[in-house]
Amino acid sequence: MSQDDLEFQLRAALRPIAPSASFEKKLIACVTNDPRRAQPMAKRLGGAGWHSRTRWLSLAAAACLLVGVGLQGRMQLRRERENGLEARRQVVEALRVTSQKLDLAYEIVKSQSSSFADDNPGA
Amino acid sequence: MNEAVRQFTDHDLALARKGDAQALTALVLAHQRSVYSLALRMLGTRDLAEDLAQDVFMQLNRNLKSIESRQHLAFWLRKVTAFRAIDQLRQRARLATTSFDEDKHLEGDSHAHPYSDAGLSDPLLQRHLKLLLEELSPPARAVVLLRYQEDLDPVDIARTLEMPINTVKSHLKRSLEIMRQKTPGARLSRGEDESI
Repeated sequence: MSQDDLEFQLRAALRPIAPSASFEKKLIACVTNDPRRAQPMAKRLGGAGWHSRTRWLSLAAAACLLVGVGLQGRMQLRRERENGLEARRQVVEALRVTSQKLDLAYEIVKSQSSSFADDNPGA
Repeated sequence: MNEAVRQFTDHDLALARKGDAQALTALVLAHQRSVYSLALRMLGTRDLAEDLAQDVFMQLNRNLKSIESRQHLAFWLRKVTAFRAIDQLRQRARLATTSFDEDKHLEGDSHAHPYSDAGLSDPLLQRHLKLLLEELSPPARAVVLLRYQEDLDPVDIARTLEMPINTVKSHLKRSLEIMRQKTPGARLSRGEDESI
């Protein structure tokens, strides 16, 4: 067998094959109905089909959801911060009251011990 | 070149770019054999070949605006099919055999065999050559398919596969050498390879 014969047999063996009719049908349907196909600008904006309209609607819904979640999160943060400030104010107030009471108690104890010393000079 | 390819004109391509369904159908009919055959012989099974062919046409559909001419269209389809098939083959170690799927398919192929009337074809030898094709590395297989299935010359193969021309020539030479060594009764003299 010569080089030419081998190449001839290779060409014969590798001749293009047609796909099955069912695949051909499926392929044509896929290609002609592909919603992601690049469309003219006018069509994309004006005559937008069901797919692009639903895509825009879902995008808008997702954006609203994101904004809503963001706002809620921010409000929650603000509320927590206000609660924290209030708690701190209460703690400071409690410390102030406690401090006053301790001062008062100290004064009382001090005045009582000085009057006791006056009453009992020999003690 | 088959009849569908000849019938697909530049006007059809322009219409297909605008999304005309009839022109898109003509485009698929014109090129499906080439894309499908390349995918089938690269990947080995009908299911994988159909998936790849479908992906390639869907990708083309979304990139039609970048296609400048019918020649560019054929070039683009071969290139994308070959590259995607090579990628798939590299991802898996070994595929199921190709020949059973392909041979089953050939039985139902209604298109006339260009050589069968001449009484020169040797089905057993051709089957053997297809089996040998499976043993080649993915890039070598792509080179052989583009040469003998698509009838491209080495320069066009180099452009399609983005390979140096010498690499293409060496793949072709080595692949034919392997086929020659593994084919009983197909011994050739070395000097005959120069025709590549």
